[in-house]
Amino acid sequence: MGPNLFTNYGEAVSAILFCIGFTNLLLQTNLIKKIIGLNIMDSAIYLFLAEKGYIAGRIAPIVVNGVTSTERYINPIPSGLVLTGIVVSVSVTALMLSLTIRLYTRYHTLDLDEISTQLKKEGK
Amino acid sequence: MYFILLSIFFPILAGLFLLIHYRTPLSGEKKNAGRKSLLLLTGCSLVITAVFVVIALFCEGEGFILFYLTKDLPIYFRIDNVGRLFSALAVIVIPCAGFFSFEYMKHEEREGRYYGFYLLVFGVLNALCFSGNLITFYLFFELLTMSSMPLVLHSGSKEAVMAGLKYLFYSLCGAYAALFGIYFLYRNCDSLTFTVDGALRASAITEHGTFLLAVAFIMLLGFGVKAGMFPMHAWLPTAHPVAPAPASAVLSALIVKAGVLAVIRVLGMFGRDFLKGTWVQTAWLCLTLITVFMGSLLAYREPVLKKRLAYSTVSQLSYILFGLAVMDETAFVGSFLHILAHGFIKAALFLCAGAIIYKTGKTRVEEMRGIGKEMPVTMWCFTIASLGLIGIPPTGGFLSKWYLALGSLNSGIPVFDVLGPVILLVSALLTAGYLLPLSIHGFFPGAAYDYGSLQKREPCKLMTVPISILTTLSVLIGIFPHLIIAVIHMAAAGR
Amino acid sequence: MNFICNFPFFSILLSLFSGTICSVLPAKAAKIVNRVVIIVIGLMSAVLLLYLLSTGESFIYWMGHFPAPWGNEIRAGVLEAGMALFFCIIMYLSMAGGAHKLPGEVVESKHNLYYILVNLLLSSLLALVYTNDMFTAYVFVEINTISACGLIMIRQVGRTIEAAVRYMIMSLLGSGLLLFGLCIMYDLTGHLLMSNIKESVGLIMANGEYQIPLIVSVALMCIGLCIKSALFPFHAWLPDAYGYSTVSSAAILSSLVSKGYIFLLIKIIYRVIGFDIFNSTRIIDVLFVFGLMGMIFGSLSAIKENDIRRMIAFSSVAQIGYIYMGFGMGTQAGMVASIFHILSHAATKSLLFIAAIGLTDVSGGSRKLNDLTGAAYRNKWAGAAFTVGSLSMVGIPLFSGFISKLLFAQAAVQVEGKMLASLIVLGISTVLNAVYFMKTVIRIYTSAADTPYMSITFRDRKPYTVTLVCFILLNIILGVSSQPVVDMIGQGLAMFA
Repeated sequence: MGPNLFTNYGEAVSAILFCIGFTNLLLQTNLIKKIIGLNIMDSAIYLFLAEKGYIAGRIAPIVVNGVTSTERYINPIPSGLVLTGIVVSVSVTALMLSLTIRLYTRYHTLDLDEISTQLKKEGK
Repeated sequence: MYFILLSIFFPILAGLFLLIHYRTPLSGEKKNAGRKSLLLLTGCSLVITAVFVVIALFCEGEGFILFYLTKDLPIYFRIDNVGRLFSALAVIVIPCAGFFSFEYMKHEEREGRYYGFYLLVFGVLNALCFSGNLITFYLFFELLTMSSMPLVLHSGSKEAVMAGLKYLFYSLCGAYAALFGIYFLYRNCDSLTFTVDGALRASAITEHGTFLLAVAFIMLLGFGVKAGMFPMHAWLPTAHPVAPAPASAVLSALIVKAGVLAVIRVLGMFGRDFLKGTWVQTAWLCLTLITVFMGSLLAYREPVLKKRLAYSTVSQLSYILFGLAVMDETAFVGSFLHILAHGFIKAALFLCAGAIIYKTGKTRVEEMRGIGKEMPVTMWCFTIASLGLIGIPPTGGFLSKWYLALGSLNSGIPVFDVLGPVILLVSALLTAGYLLPLSIHGFFPGAAYDYGSLQKREPCKLMTVPISILTTLSVLIGIFPHLIIAVIHMAAAGR
Repeated sequence: MNFICNFPFFSILLSLFSGTICSVLPAKAAKIVNRVVIIVIGLMSAVLLLYLLSTGESFIYWMGHFPAPWGNEIRAGVLEAGMALFFCIIMYLSMAGGAHKLPGEVVESKHNLYYILVNLLLSSLLALVYTNDMFTAYVFVEINTISACGLIMIRQVGRTIEAAVRYMIMSLLGSGLLLFGLCIMYDLTGHLLMSNIKESVGLIMANGEYQIPLIVSVALMCIGLCIKSALFPFHAWLPDAYGYSTVSSAAILSSLVSKGYIFLLIKIIYRVIGFDIFNSTRIIDVLFVFGLMGMIFGSLSAIKENDIRRMIAFSSVAQIGYIYMGFGMGTQAGMVASIFHILSHAATKSLLFIAAIGLTDVSGGSRKLNDLTGAAYRNKWAGAAFTVGSLSMVGIPLFSGFISKLLFAQAAVQVEGKMLASLIVLGISTVLNAVYFMKTVIRIYTSAADTPYMSITFRDRKPYTVTLVCFILLNIILGVSSQPVVDMIGQGLAMFA
């Protein structure tokens, strides 16, 4: 267990980060903190992917000096996945932020529970 | 076969037509629009359906599959003698009560809805009688609950709605318990087509015998809910009094009997040999005897007439179930005779109660002092029907109880062979105790009665004729039982 | 390769494109485009289904020119084509049934945005149904979430925005877990295409190494999709989201969006992990237990509810519990029952939502059960439709709900260990369903003495009524002639393996 954890420290860190992000997204009542949690969670996954795609001692898969041997390059697919993932997470974050603005202009608070109680008071 | 389909679908379609065409007038619209045409349509539909049923009763044939619900669950109709007897009962009681309601429902609102569902019930009952396998039976059993519930909550008062809901939930619980059993039967039988000597595979009996017994018990309990058997009888005394009187007549004479019919079918599916002498039989006998006694006792203490009759139904139905639980051919004959006798008698009694309520508005027994002087025909019918229910010869009730007791004594089941007849006798005494005072006080109100306030309140022909027909029939089956008994013997043999 | 094989790709692309086009069209034109696109896609799916039934084999369609381990693929079998067809039907009917309410619910200038969202949702659903690539599935899951969120909040009242935020948060948790599970799976197997992953998973199981990471990855994906499809403990967002959004949105969300995720889960179970390997893990027991709990607690919450639309929404929680119970049985029969229930629930639930709006319309817009007294007399067709939907939910024979319950029960008696639990819970849940649905039906048929509200007849709202009739017919067809559908599901599952 111990040595494994040490050699795969990148994965371990990303798992811990994922948990931090996840709990933040789940448990924070402040909407902005929730969104930060979301970003931490997504970044953790990208870190994990990048870590899996990287092979020590190799370089990015860009042909320089005419070297075409696959032995020289890291696995490019995870990097592609990370890029796609970042695009998705950016759009989701944007949507969340816009929703947050809507709620804030209506209820003047970022606290989700507070908003719920106000809604109950409205009785609608 | 066409007549079977016609007798099922004609009343259903007619009922749906009435429901759509004679819907409740909305606020602002003219009320009771076209009552005459509504009655005419209902009457014609009742008569035409009755004719179809009677023709269907004389059909012979193998039966036919309407369509497949899933690959090996066909919707299958067939005529056998058990179904014939039931539908003979239905085809007499429903039109009688229907014509009775023409007068009774005169001042009620939402008549279109009432007759619509009434016809639906007729069609569904026919389908129940003619269904040839368990899944078809279950389908129409559920539909029967659904179509009879609006009859119970017809008046729309809060009390009636609660009673309707209670009826619905008891029935659904029971039906689900039965469905639970059907799943297992489906797995352990070659087909779900009705038989009389057991459809279980021999291998299934040896492997899962104990388990199947439990399944049988659950199914009996489940269908027993509809027949008002002891732990689940409470819906009956709630639902009957709030329903309009003709509806309670149908409810008591036919709809609760659907539970009995179900029990007969289930008994056939498991086979008597499989259940005889097991704990299931013992438990079942116990429950029925408890119900017989308890029902009579509760009826004895009950001051409201329709509720009293409802408790009496609880008790009388368990006579029938007791006869089935004995699993003896003589007792089976007794049960079947009692199904018919009780059907006619109870329908007549409820219609009498309805006539009294309609004319005088009196619902409690102690208010009915001197009623016999005011409504002699009604009360005479009431008295004769009461005598039948108590079991005084030569009425049908006597004959059925005779056979029940005889069958029980012959069966040789320890304890119950003697206990059964004893309880039946006690219950008959109680029956006399709760029905006869009505007639006695009705005809002999005593010296304190003010004869000056007496007025003739006999209801019109539309009410008295159906009551008289039902009462006469209840006596006739006691005097000329041979044909019926022959048919019952054929039914018992599975033909 | 036959021309028909292009249809899955065409249908995804068509709905994506039409979504983009709608943004520049006026509202009326956008509506027409939306309807036409749904119909065209439905027709294409129908043709595809017929083609697949005639060939009896599924096919794989390369997106681009890269062969198996690298390229992106679409896969179409009977089940996929059937689902696509069914989704289109329900989508069309839901849109048609809610169309008359749209002007009152959404600001006029945003109507074309609404159709963009619907088209996007359709395209993402189709992509979830057809895709053979895990990462593509993830991307479309997110697109699905975004468009569903838009559908909830396009009606701008406080409740919907709050519901949308809650929905987003839960969905993001779900998709985060899904993505993480996906990455671990990619890490373990080195593939993203479902068929390739399945081969590697088979090798891993045979080797006996990396068992725990594999199970962790499967568990993460399952939990992620469970959260997204509102399985019992994760359902908190659902009642508000379904209860306050526009009618069409509620119908679409309840009957299609959650089903898209469930269908993805089915694909993962069959095409990624393998049915037998999945059943050998303890995950199915967990799904089973949560399914059962959902069935009971969903119904209990619905009983307490006094708002008709929230009540129907809570009933969805119970119905999703049914589906997961079928998964949890771990048999082919359970799976078939679950898939049939996806269809029957989609048909019934959207019917109920659409009928409920007809009832509230004639009760002064109030959704409280007390105000609905006698509503069925004021709007006959909506009343009849609601009754049919309720009877189907309760499981009365002749309606679709009965067949799914029958299939569940038949599946349950084949699983020794889970038989009693599932049958008993099925029974309890049936009775609980009856409690609140029949209560409502009786309520709407209890005539109120004098109501100030106007009644609505067939002539006032032809399209709406026709939609209701279509829904009723769909329900009865599923209930009466279920055998072809069940056969097709079986055939489709056989193609999956």
